[in-house]
Amino acid sequence: MSALQTFMLVVDHDKQEARQIAERIAQDVESKKTNLVEVVQSLGEYINDEDPLLRGKAVSYLTAVIKALPPKFLTRQQVQVLTTFFCDRIEDSGAVAGVETLQKLDRFTKDMAEEVAKALFQNFTTLQSRAQSQRFQVYQLLNELMSSHRAVLHDMGDTSLVGTVDIMTGEKDPRNLMLVFSILKVIMVEWNISNHVELLFDSVYNYFPITFRPPPNDPYGITAQDLKDRLQDCISASSLFAPHSIPALLDKLDSTSQNVKKDALNALIACINSYSPDTVSTYSITVWETIKFEILNAQEEFLSELSLQALHDIAKRLSEGVNQVSDQLPLAQYLRPITKECNEQLREPQQKQAKPAQEILKATSKASAPSFSLIVQVVVAPLLTLYQGADGITKQRALLETLTQLFESAIMVFGEWTSRTPAPFAENPLLEFKDQFSEIFGQALMGTVKEEVSFRISALKGFLRLSTLRDYFHDSEIGLFVQYLNEILLKEETVGRDDLKREAITALAEISKHHPRLIMDITFPAFVATLPDSDDGSDTGYMKTLEILAQISIEKAIFDTLVRRLLNKLSLLLQTEQAGSAAYPRAILLTIYYVMSQRKLEGDPGLEMYYDKIVVAMTRSAAITASGKAKNNILADSTVLDILSRLCNNIVRSLPRSTQDEVAKNIYTLFTSPDEFQPVPFSQSASEDHHRTMILSTYLLAGLPADVTLPHNMSELLPDMVARSVTKTEPAPQLAILRHIALLVNKFLPKTELSTATGLLDSLLPRTTAESRTSAETIKTIFWLSKSLILRLAPTTTKILTSLLSVLSCPDETTSTTAARGFAILLKDDDVLSPTNGANIRLLSKQRVFTTLTPLISANIREINTTHSSNNDAVSKQHIKPAHLTALSGILSTISPTLVMPELPTLLPLLLQSLDLQSEDSQAVRAATLQTLSVIIRESGVTVIEECGHVQSLVTRLLKTAEYSKKQVGVVNGPRLRVAALRCLFLLAQTPTGAGDAPAVAKAGKLSPLLPVRNQVLRSLKFVLDDPKRDVRKAAVDARGAWLRGVDEAPEEED
Amino acid sequence: MASEMQNSNPTILNTADLPTRLRPSVSSKSSTYGSEFFASTLPSLTEGSLDPISDYSQTPSESESDGELMEEPIDEQEIYDLISTINDPEHPISLGALAVVSLPDISIKPALPDVPESPLQTVTVLITPTITHCSLATVIGLGVRVRLEQSLPPRFRVDVQIKEGTHSTADEVNKQLADKERVAAALENGTLMGVIAKMLETCQ
Repeated sequence: MSALQTFMLVVDHDKQEARQIAERIAQDVESKKTNLVEVVQSLGEYINDEDPLLRGKAVSYLTAVIKALPPKFLTRQQVQVLTTFFCDRIEDSGAVAGVETLQKLDRFTKDMAEEVAKALFQNFTTLQSRAQSQRFQVYQLLNELMSSHRAVLHDMGDTSLVGTVDIMTGEKDPRNLMLVFSILKVIMVEWNISNHVELLFDSVYNYFPITFRPPPNDPYGITAQDLKDRLQDCISASSLFAPHSIPALLDKLDSTSQNVKKDALNALIACINSYSPDTVSTYSITVWETIKFEILNAQEEFLSELSLQALHDIAKRLSEGVNQVSDQLPLAQYLRPITKECNEQLREPQQKQAKPAQEILKATSKASAPSFSLIVQVVVAPLLTLYQGADGITKQRALLETLTQLFESAIMVFGEWTSRTPAPFAENPLLEFKDQFSEIFGQALMGTVKEEVSFRISALKGFLRLSTLRDYFHDSEIGLFVQYLNEILLKEETVGRDDLKREAITALAEISKHHPRLIMDITFPAFVATLPDSDDGSDTGYMKTLEILAQISIEKAIFDTLVRRLLNKLSLLLQTEQAGSAAYPRAILLTIYYVMSQRKLEGDPGLEMYYDKIVVAMTRSAAITASGKAKNNILADSTVLDILSRLCNNIVRSLPRSTQDEVAKNIYTLFTSPDEFQPVPFSQSASEDHHRTMILSTYLLAGLPADVTLPHNMSELLPDMVARSVTKTEPAPQLAILRHIALLVNKFLPKTELSTATGLLDSLLPRTTAESRTSAETIKTIFWLSKSLILRLAPTTTKILTSLLSVLSCPDETTSTTAARGFAILLKDDDVLSPTNGANIRLLSKQRVFTTLTPLISANIREINTTHSSNNDAVSKQHIKPAHLTALSGILSTISPTLVMPELPTLLPLLLQSLDLQSEDSQAVRAATLQTLSVIIRESGVTVIEECGHVQSLVTRLLKTAEYSKKQVGVVNGPRLRVAALRCLFLLAQTPTGAGDAPAVAKAGKLSPLLPVRNQVLRSLKFVLDDPKRDVRKAAVDARGAWLRGVDEAPEEED
Repeated sequence: MASEMQNSNPTILNTADLPTRLRPSVSSKSSTYGSEFFASTLPSLTEGSLDPISDYSQTPSESESDGELMEEPIDEQEIYDLISTINDPEHPISLGALAVVSLPDISIKPALPDVPESPLQTVTVLITPTITHCSLATVIGLGVRVRLEQSLPPRFRVDVQIKEGTHSTADEVNKQLADKERVAAALENGTLMGVIAKMLETCQ
């Protein structure tokens, strides 16, 4: 059998084999064992066969051989002969692929390209009757020619244009259409199409609107949007299409389908942006007349937005090259009917239609400086007249808002004071009205009765826009506004929700970005002057002032001044003997802390000053206060120390390394000499005051890098600290010491010395057999030590977790319950032991804790449920199950819900049992449980619960938790708990957020799993509607509404 | 729904101006630092209990138990909050913003004034249509009625009427709204229920 015959036999079922045969022949040709003429001749008997299949296979053989030849092998003449051969037989399968191979060769000439193109156009007029893959090949070939030999096709002019249209007419496959659209776009843009405009336009517009929806597991990855984009490119490709495209697209706006309207508007926008300005001008008014209805009677917000976009883009296109504004401009002609319509609608500005009119004005006026000028010329004066004659505050307010929209456009066109873009040359047409605006808005803001809060807010917002508009107001005019704001904040009584004051603060903060000088000169002194020298506790008005100062001190200059002034105030306070309450110095420190945490401190030139004045000086003062040698006791207050410490922590983190080393030496001495202060570690006689300075030491330590040299040896320091933490002290210093231990173990203890920490932990853990009680302080120390080890995933992590869990089974109830609560400590985010402070927190630690503990807790509870019910000592061990559930809730409240999902089948029964704890002190546990449940339900909906088979039991428990009962003594279900339970019920009936569209399809054939409990829920909720608490009733109304709406009744059965 | 809009350009009240309940600002959380603002912007300050072991006993229950005793009876504002967010069937605007319902036109009275210990109450809501010949007044009335019946406990009787002098056929509409059987029949009507369900969608 010849190679050809073998090839024809295998080509259908073994492509690999067929290719190898062709490659062998190609090698023979290359090595001159045979030649191309022979190969072609060997086709002889099949090539004229009646069966097109046979002919196709024979041609494919030749193509395969050519493909396997090296690219430079064929001579020009051979290429020519082969091209002619393939063109003659172009209709046989394989020929197109053959030509495609040939046209890639360097020796493929223009003439050959023309020959191929002609062959394509002549022979494929009935292309659509062929299979998709063959059509695809043809388009691909055409596309290749288009990219490598475009000039040839271009020279063919109408022939190639009409030929291409003929070939593709009737094409329906999305893959092919993607190619067709891109080929046609080239023709539309580059060919002279004037003789065939309609033909070309129709060839693509027939496909509008695209209704294609990709199959579920689309292997080709073509979306409807891809097709829409390419089609849109074609429709907008040439201005010559305008007479056809624009009326047709506007017609489509009559469609009842929102999607069709959306596509039409998008295509329209594309046309506006690519047709010539003259063309756009011709149709501008027609477009306005049609799409104004989409805005004035908006059905859907997105349609109105797109329509506004179209109006804006027209104005923008018509402004191209306009330097001088005149009435004769196409832009002016376009805007005339628009402003006329808007002016009419705005005559009653408080009515519904005014809002779309405002939006239209805003969209068109922000398009360009000329557009803005033309609109302002005809709109502003009538608005001002209306304002003068307005009979009610509602109307005035609507007018102020309309003007504010224009001010916002002005900012888009002319920029703000801080804008870096160059200002346009045109003059701002609003300048003419400057004094009037200043008067109207000032009067509205300051001359109105104080109760009209929303009216005054509108005025304030307008004034603010004008103040930030570039090159508009003079400094003195903005200064006046700033004074108004000062007056509102300092002198006025609070009205209602204080919205005006909040807006005033925002406005000052905004102005401070543009004009820091004005804030420094006017606002700053006025506010600082109201700060008292000391506080006797009677008037806490300084708090508001400090809050405002903190918010407006964004600019560097203001920030510096604020910090200096406050530090002065503080040092004065520390010097007075009767310093009054600690609240005032604490508020000052809090303000400094706030403004500093809003800025990046690294490289701040003031850093050295902050270090000297705050870290060194204040820390030292605190130490001296602890020794009882200070003038007052301000720095002995633990809340003051707490804020001061956080502040120091922030600064220490940003210091250069050399200074950090200095801090490391002073962690415990706190920058004092030995006779001034006795450091806490190893001190036998440290007082409570002394211990309180550990708050400072801890935060200083936290801010240092892990490789600094600490003043003490770890193996001595740790036991000393642990000894201090297990002996009772007041809460704040004890927490500081616990965190100190955790920091040392987690961040500073080298891996090799971990045994020091685990040894300490072992010595603290109670022996399981012992009945004795372990103190709360010891348990805390145990958990903080464990936390520090677990977060760095010490090798003993699993062992630690198991020993912690065994404490829960302790026969002593107090020990067991206290330990159960301690589990919340393990993974809780901490301010000191935090990533910001360089703590060693491994990514997988949370997951590790959860996946280790959950199965153990589950197993323990199962054991308790089965054995203890029959056992005699059941009573004495009743606390153990709640303890396990508490521990679980502690863990759950500190990990992300995504970790929970995989363990859901194990977890859900435990959560349900937690809800069964109907006692007052289990509220925290149940609150945490409901929190977890609500996240699970919100993310994945009722289906996950249904999969575990717990819908009925969950719903019953939720309803029970939502119940309010007057009879019981004490509160079993607090209001917050009731709300949380109702919230879960509400979420159950909602579509989950994480699901997207998928369940809608799945839902169609299936009844909601909630249906069996629907009536039970609706009945029970009816009584919750009478709850004595408003928040609970609100939650019940929402939940009931969701169940009424979301859970459909069974479809009516046909009898 | 009517194909032709009955009133295409009604006056709209600003949402910020509608009556709302002023809640006493909750200051218990920030009490340590005396400032709500700082507490809210520096979250770490209010992280809650830093020490779950000692703070445990007093976390939720203590602060709530004294509050629990204080009842908050259902009042006119609460009724207003329930119905003011219903959307008008013609416009995507709430009944509150259109002033179709307003706070002074809502009243709650004992249903049986002669029996002081009876818990039964009657809620009366007067509706002001945007124009006097609005044919959708009945639908709006029904919507308000449905919303209240879904959201109030069974001891409340709901009475929805057109405010006197605001509608040309007020008596007829009132008759329809007060007639239990006609209301029940209307609610069996699928199309009508569809319109009402759409109105109620925006109730938050």
